[in-house]
Amino acid sequence: MLSRSAQGLYWMGRYLERAQHLCRLLQLQVEALVDRPVREIHLGWSRIYGALNRQPPFGGIQFDRRDNYTLADSYTLAGDLTFERSNPDSVWNCFSLGRENARQMRHRISAEMWICLNLAYLRIQKLDIEDIWKTSPENFYAETVEEIHTFSGVAATTMYRDEGWHFMQLGHCIERAQISVALFLSQIATAKLYQDSPDGDCTTLLRLYHAFDAYDRKHSVEIQPHQVLDLLAADPLLPNSLCRSLDSAAAELAAIAHGPSAASSAAASRLAGRVQALIRHEWPDRKDREAMLRQIGEHCRGLHDQIMTAYIDYSVEDAPVH
Amino acid sequence: MEFAGYDLDDGIYDEMLQPNGEPREHSRLLYETLCQLSSDEINSIQERVTRSFSNEGISFTVYGDAEANERIIPVDCLPRILPPSEWRHLEIGLTQRLAALNRFLNDVYGEARIIDDGVIPADVVRGCPQYRSEMCGVAVPHGTWVAICGTDLVRTNQGFQVLEDNLRVPSGVSYMIANRKVVKSSLRRLYRSSRVRGVEHYGRLLQKTLRELSPSGRNDPCIALLTPGVYNSAFYEHMFLAREIGAELVEGRDLLVNGGFVYMRTTTGLRRVDVVYRRVDDDFLDPLVFREDSLLGVPGLIHAYKLGNVAVVNAPGTGIADDKSVYAYVPDMIRYYLGEEPILLNVETHLCRRPEELEYTLDNLENLVVKRVGESGGYGMLVGPHSTLEERDAYAEQVRADPADFISQPVLPLSRAPCLIEGRPEPRHVDLRPFVLHGTETRLVPGAFCRVALRRGSLVVNSSQGGGGKDLWVLED
Repeated sequence: MLSRSAQGLYWMGRYLERAQHLCRLLQLQVEALVDRPVREIHLGWSRIYGALNRQPPFGGIQFDRRDNYTLADSYTLAGDLTFERSNPDSVWNCFSLGRENARQMRHRISAEMWICLNLAYLRIQKLDIEDIWKTSPENFYAETVEEIHTFSGVAATTMYRDEGWHFMQLGHCIERAQISVALFLSQIATAKLYQDSPDGDCTTLLRLYHAFDAYDRKHSVEIQPHQVLDLLAADPLLPNSLCRSLDSAAAELAAIAHGPSAASSAAASRLAGRVQALIRHEWPDRKDREAMLRQIGEHCRGLHDQIMTAYIDYSVEDAPVH
Repeated sequence: MEFAGYDLDDGIYDEMLQPNGEPREHSRLLYETLCQLSSDEINSIQERVTRSFSNEGISFTVYGDAEANERIIPVDCLPRILPPSEWRHLEIGLTQRLAALNRFLNDVYGEARIIDDGVIPADVVRGCPQYRSEMCGVAVPHGTWVAICGTDLVRTNQGFQVLEDNLRVPSGVSYMIANRKVVKSSLRRLYRSSRVRGVEHYGRLLQKTLRELSPSGRNDPCIALLTPGVYNSAFYEHMFLAREIGAELVEGRDLLVNGGFVYMRTTTGLRRVDVVYRRVDDDFLDPLVFREDSLLGVPGLIHAYKLGNVAVVNAPGTGIADDKSVYAYVPDMIRYYLGEEPILLNVETHLCRRPEELEYTLDNLENLVVKRVGESGGYGMLVGPHSTLEERDAYAEQVRADPADFISQPVLPLSRAPCLIEGRPEPRHVDLRPFVLHGTETRLVPGAFCRVALRRGSLVVNSSQGGGGKDLWVLED
């Protein structure tokens, strides 16, 4: 497959995963605006911005107990994270970039996938924060997540399982792993800032990962932050856990034939295996979760770079000719 | 839907109705079906057609309009119909014309007999900006310089005429297929009853044609469609065709030349490319031979081509044969190379390079269409009757400054076809662009991209100038 096509599909997977993840976070956050205490709302915003490694538009999130201020700020923050064109991490930008990669790779994905994505794009294009804020903003996020899920389902049933598929899935898994690491680190940091919050709002995290039932089954109804983190990070049975994302990334990589340089491809596989081993075998025994998450995050970035080197940006000098 | 009040003009051929308001025989079923549809029904069909284009993102880019990176091409839901006899006539005429044009290209880049024999002046050929001296002496596979040709045809009361030949990177075929797909599904029963010939197999014919041109000895040739990129006006079409023919859609940066062979960069290494279906203009194809500042092309491509290691389709240098000055000589080419009378006529053309024709052009600007010989897409032309005195004066100055760069033609009363405008049928001017393929033999799908000047009274059908499309139905015998 053409390297640039593989790259386009890989980034399509990444951007759509990023858009979906942010939508889900925002959906839960705006749901919290209805009945959660002001402090928890602030914690939620801090966690999101921390995960994105960004500053909010007006410089920082100030703790103010008054509802009016919190709601007004929330409107601004949601606008910044959803439709702001100058924010590269906004839902609008992530979704548009995912769709743009799909547009350039239309000949490589199924017609049904394209139409599904384009319809969602046409809907989002017409909206802004005012439109969605008037009624029920959570519906907008839920609908967008649903559209991305539909896209994934359509892809699963219509896309040819060639390298393109695996690169798309690889992008999707690596993105999910990286944003999970960033979110968990942000969770640890915000929990330190908001120590008066009993569980650091871990329930939102459990909902985000559709992990409530699994947590209840495994532990008890009482939420313990370290148990939540262990579940979300290291449970291989949880569909969106960090562990499962890394397992899937390794499996997708294994499904792709080796690149022009066998050594370079092997380096990517080794890295994928190493980070998989970290979460599967070292996580249970290591106490310093934060340091470990940072290490995993670095490995994920390294894995991304190594994939680019092995398949996309390789030197043509020594590349084999077919 | 009512045709009462539909504007018929004796001087302008209507594709559906006769001058007495009765439908032409081949359009009778369409006419009767439309008359039975309520206004709501036809509007909902049009809406469905438009929505389908939008949902599928069938777009083109308008240069210089930042907002129109992905403009959806307007499509009218009322098909235009051609009876089998008319299509046969066009098919034979187009085949004849392409044969002559390929012979001409072989000749002017070879012995140049046509110039020596005084049929066409040397300066018309060699002074043309599209003449590529680098291509002299190159033996192209099967003598096929033009493998894909999109000829613009118009109809007047005198019959069909060729408005221009597009021999470099003709576009529009994807819209022909998209129009068919959506109109067919919107007028299902009518389509079935009308016995319309299919166009959907164009991709197979194109692939067959490209394979025929691949370097000899390559059993399973690798075909790459070379696009200038996502910002090109026809990017949608490039993507569409790459899918249709199973080719990789490549940009210049994806290709490289090594040891006289062309390779593309894949995830497993370099893969040899046998056929480059290029949608990049000559100027930008190879910076080592043409424009050295080109970032769109592939350094060394022409060298590999000359060695016979890769086919470039259409061949570089074909632009000489669709230059608007050279166009005037096509009927002579047909007589010269084929010993036949042209089946399809040219539009009367005045070459401003000739002093008496320059004078005629300048004296009659308000009645003529004046075009730059090297422009296309409706850019850089003056439509006399629709221009102001100031515009004509400014244009005349440009013509005087470089007469050889201009031609003029009479304003043709292009035929009209009914279009759905604000819920009612109104006549709009149309042309058609059939696509002719030639590898070792000539192939056509029975259909064309039918372009419509959607603005009332406008004669400009180009998509970039407010034009749209229509489905063209060629009926079975």
